[in-house]
Amino acid sequence: MPKISDSIDYKDIVCPFCSLHCDDLKLKIIDNKIYVKSDINESCKDKFERNNSTSINTVSPKINSKSQSFDTVVKHSKKLINESNETLIFNASADVNIARELIVSTSKINGIFDHINSETFLKNIDIYQRKGFMSTSLSEVKNKSDVIVLFSDNILKNYPRLVERVLAPDNSFSVKANKKKIYIIGNKKNNIKQSFKKDSRIEYIDFNIRDTSMLIESLKKKSNKTSIKDNIFNEFLQRINNSKYLTICWATSELIKNVNCYNTISSISEYVVSINEKSRAACLPLAGNDGDVSNIQTTGWLTGFPSRIKFTGNYFEYDRDLYHGNNLIESNNIDLVIYVNGISNKKLILNKKNKNIIIGHPSTKYDIQPDVFIPCGIPGIDYKGLIFRTDNVVTLPLVDIKIPTYRSAQEILRRILN
Amino acid sequence: MTTIHLKNGHVFDPANRVYNKKKDVFIQDGKVVKSLKKKSDQIINCTDKIIMPGAIDLHTHIGGGKVNIARLMLQEFHNNSDRDYDLTADFVPSTLKTGLQYIGMGYTSCFEPALLPMNARQSHLEMADIPFVDKGGYALLGNDDYLLAMIAKGAHQSEINDYVAFILKASQCIGIKVVNAGGINAFKFNQRALDVDEQSIRYKVTPRKIVNVLARAVYELGVPHPLHVHCSNLGVPGNFKSTIETIKAAEGLPIHITHIQFHSYGDNGDRKFSSASAEITEYLNKVPNLTCDVGQIMFGQTVTMSGDSMKQHKNHKHAHPKKWLCMDIECDAGCGVVPFKYKDQSFVNALQWAIGLETFLLAEDAEKIFLTTDHPNGGPFTSYPHLIKLLMDKTFRDDLLDRLAVDIKEHTILKDIKREYTLSEIATMTRSAPAKILGLKNKGSLSAGSDADITVYDKKLNDIEEMFAHPSHVIKDGILVVKNSVVQDYIWGKTQVVKPEYDPSIEKKLDKHFKKFNTIGLSNFAISNDEMSEVIGSDVNENECLRKRIS
Ligand SMILES: [Zn+2]
Repeated sequence: MPKISDSIDYKDIVCPFCSLHCDDLKLKIIDNKIYVKSDINESCKDKFERNNSTSINTVSPKINSKSQSFDTVVKHSKKLINESNETLIFNASADVNIARELIVSTSKINGIFDHINSETFLKNIDIYQRKGFMSTSLSEVKNKSDVIVLFSDNILKNYPRLVERVLAPDNSFSVKANKKKIYIIGNKKNNIKQSFKKDSRIEYIDFNIRDTSMLIESLKKKSNKTSIKDNIFNEFLQRINNSKYLTICWATSELIKNVNCYNTISSISEYVVSINEKSRAACLPLAGNDGDVSNIQTTGWLTGFPSRIKFTGNYFEYDRDLYHGNNLIESNNIDLVIYVNGISNKKLILNKKNKNIIIGHPSTKYDIQPDVFIPCGIPGIDYKGLIFRTDNVVTLPLVDIKIPTYRSAQEILRRILN
Repeated sequence: MTTIHLKNGHVFDPANRVYNKKKDVFIQDGKVVKSLKKKSDQIINCTDKIIMPGAIDLHTHIGGGKVNIARLMLQEFHNNSDRDYDLTADFVPSTLKTGLQYIGMGYTSCFEPALLPMNARQSHLEMADIPFVDKGGYALLGNDDYLLAMIAKGAHQSEINDYVAFILKASQCIGIKVVNAGGINAFKFNQRALDVDEQSIRYKVTPRKIVNVLARAVYELGVPHPLHVHCSNLGVPGNFKSTIETIKAAEGLPIHITHIQFHSYGDNGDRKFSSASAEITEYLNKVPNLTCDVGQIMFGQTVTMSGDSMKQHKNHKHAHPKKWLCMDIECDAGCGVVPFKYKDQSFVNALQWAIGLETFLLAEDAEKIFLTTDHPNGGPFTSYPHLIKLLMDKTFRDDLLDRLAVDIKEHTILKDIKREYTLSEIATMTRSAPAKILGLKNKGSLSAGSDADITVYDKKLNDIEEMFAHPSHVIKDGILVVKNSVVQDYIWGKTQVVKPEYDPSIEKKLDKHFKKFNTIGLSNFAISNDEMSEVIGSDVNENECLRKRIS
C-alpha cells in the first residue's frame, strides 16, 4: 500500500481525457500530487495537474449545495430514486467499467439509459446501419496513408496531439513520412493558430465545413463548385487521385451543428467507398471525448444497442426517439436524472423541473445546483479502468496513479441503488 | 462446495474409451472424483439419462470488434416484441445471451478464433461478460506488418518463434490463427487476391511461406493447438486446390483448417461451382496431423464476419440487407462484416449446405473433424442440435434435401452416403477431440481429476435435436447451472491460455518498433494476468505446453 508521502515516477501512462488516449505520458507523483513530465501541450497537462489543488481535494457530498455526510447523501439519493416513476441514468463520461456498472444500475431500477453524446455518435453508426462503410484506425493512418484530409475548425483544440502522433508523424512504416500530404480543411486561421508545430506537409485550406458535401460532390465530378480557388482545388484533386491510401477524417461533434450532418458524413463515406473500387481509401471519424466509444462498445455487447434503452422487469427495449435522454429532460418527461461524470470537463446542463443527482469527479461543471452531488474518483487517476480509443479498435488500460480522494463511481452507484 | 452424484447414467466418455456404459459419476470441489467418502449433497437419478463431458466449441465468433459491429449494424434483428430478458438476435447475441444459450445447450467452453492482438482487450472484455462458459482466443498473425517484414528479411525461425510466443502471452491467447495469409495485408496495398504461391507486392512473401513459418513456430514452441488456418481464396469456386496447397505448406507439421466447407469448392459443371468435398476428405483421411472444422451453413438470415477484409470487401455486393463494413486495423489485420441470407432457392447456397454435410459424412475419423457453423458465418451456434440431427439421421437429411427449393441432386452425392453418426462419434467430435487438440488436459473427459464440466441429456426424448437442444442438467466447475432444463444463477468461467517461453530480448526490439511506428506503447499493448482478473474481469488458467521449446 503506497503512502501519501511516497514519490513515484510513472511512464507510459494513458491519458483518459481525450479520445486519442495517448499512452506515452511521464508523470511524477509527490505527496499524492500529479506532475506531468512529458513535453506536451499545456491543456493536456492541465487536465492532470488541476486535480492537485486543495479545493478539488476537499469537495464534500452535497444535498441542495449543502455539505452532508456520505451516508446522509446516500440515504437522500435512495429516497429520490424511490419516489421517481421514471429515472434516466445519463452517462456523461465513463470508462468501460463504469459503463458496465451503469447498465447494471439501470436494470436494477427499471430505468432509462442514455449517453449524453448519443445524438452525435448515432450519426456515425447510422452509416453502417444503412449502407457500406470503409474505415481505418490510427496506426494504419500513421503508417500507410499517404494523403490525409481532415475537415475541422477546431480539431487541434479537441484532439491536441492528433497531428503530431497520427496525421503527420516523424516515422511511418510503409510510406515515406516526409512524402505524406495532410490537408486540414476548415477555418484556416483557427486551425493554424491551434497547431502545435509548423509542418510543411500540412496544407490548410480555408473553407466553410458546412459545405463539405458540396466539396465531396465537386471531387466526385472533378469540377469545382466550391469557394476554394480553382488552382488549389485542382492540386488537391490531383493528390487525391494519385493517392495510394487516402484517409478522410472528421469529428462528428463538429459536423453535428450542420443541419445536414448525416448527409455530409454519408457523402464522405460514399465517396470513400467508391474510391475503393479501384484504389484504397478509408474513413476515420473522430469520436467524442466523453467516453463515447467505451459507451457504444460496452452497451453494444451487453444489449445489442449503442444507447437509449429502457429496462422493464425482465426485459429491455431500445427506442431511439422515446429514450432520447436530452429530449426527455428538455420536454420534462423524466422525474429524476442521475448524471455520471467520471472524466469530462464539459458543463452539464440541468433542468430544474426534474430532480438531479450528479455522481461526478470533483471539478464537474454544471449550470444549476443539483439536488445531490456526490464526488467520485477519475478512472486513470484514482482508479484502474479501461477505455476505448477513438478508432474503436484499441482499448487502453487506465491506471490508478495516486491514492484516491473519493470513492469510485461504481461504488457510489452500488450504494445508492442497493 | 457441494458434492454431486450422477447415478446410473449412460456414460459417453470417449477420452476414456467409455461408450454408452451404465455408470455413476461423482463430483467434488469442482472436479470429477472416483468416489465420494460421504453421502453426496445431491443425487441426480440418471437412469434415463445420457452423460457426457461438457461440449467444447473450438471456433465461434463470440467476442471482439467485428462481433460488436455486427450487433450494432443489425439491430433491426434484435426482436423487440418478444418479452424475454434478452432480445438480441441469435446470430449476434449479447454477451449475456451467448452464455445463456451455450450453457442451455450443454456447452461449457467456447473459443473465439479471430482475436486481433491490437483488439485483444475488447475480445477479452466481451468474453469476460459471457456467463458460465470457459473461453479463450486464437491470436491473429500472418497479416501483421511486423511479422511480414521479419519474413521478408529472412529472419531466423527462432526469432519468429520468440515473436509468436510473445504475442500469445501479451494477448492472453491459447492458439495462433492465420486468416488469408498475407492477403489482408496485401489488400491494404490494393491487391485484390493472393493465391498460395503468389507474392504480395509489398513484402514479396507468399501465403505458403507465412503458413509454413507460423505452423513451424507453433510446433516448435510446443503450443498444443496446431496453427489454425483460414485458407486463401475463401468462397472462390475451384478453391479446393489452394486448400490442399495450404495444407502442404505445413510440410507435415500439425495444421488445423477451419470452416473447410468454404474452402472445398470445385469449378465444374455448367454453373462453374461444384462440390470438392470428396477430394478434400480423401486428403483429410489419409494425411496425419491434419484436422478441420466444417463451418456448416444453415438456411436463413445471418451475418458474416471475418478478419478477411480482402474477401469480405469483394463479398459486400452480396450483402443482405444491403449494408456492410470493412476496416483496416492497426497494421495488425482487418475485418469485414457483411450480413447475409442463405437461401435454399439459391443453387450456390444449397450446394454449400450439401458440401458441408458431405464433408462431415466422408471424414472417417471423428477425432479429425469438428462440429461448427463458424458462428455466425454459416449460421448461429444455436443450430448445432439441428446439425447433429442431420448427421445422425439419414431419413431426416434426405427429406430436407428433397424439399430444397432448388434441385441439387445431380450435384451432390449426399443421397448416396449411408452413414449416420453415432452418439459416440458426436461425443468425440464435440468433447474429447476438441479438448485434445486445444491441449485442455482437464476437459472433455470424465476421468478423476477432470474439471466437472458435465452435460446430462434426457434419453427419453425421442427427437435427437430436442435432446441436444435442451439437456436436463449441466454442471460447470462442479456447480449445477442447469437443472431440469432451467438455467440457474450465473457463474463465470475462466480464460484458457498457453504461454510458451521466449527470449525476452524480443521485447526490446518490439518496444523500439512500437515506439517508432505504433500508436500505443508495448507496455500498454500487453495484458497481464492481474489486469485480466482485476480489470477485465476474467481469471486466467494457464495450460501446459506439449513439451519444451525446440528452437
Ligand atoms: Zn471463423
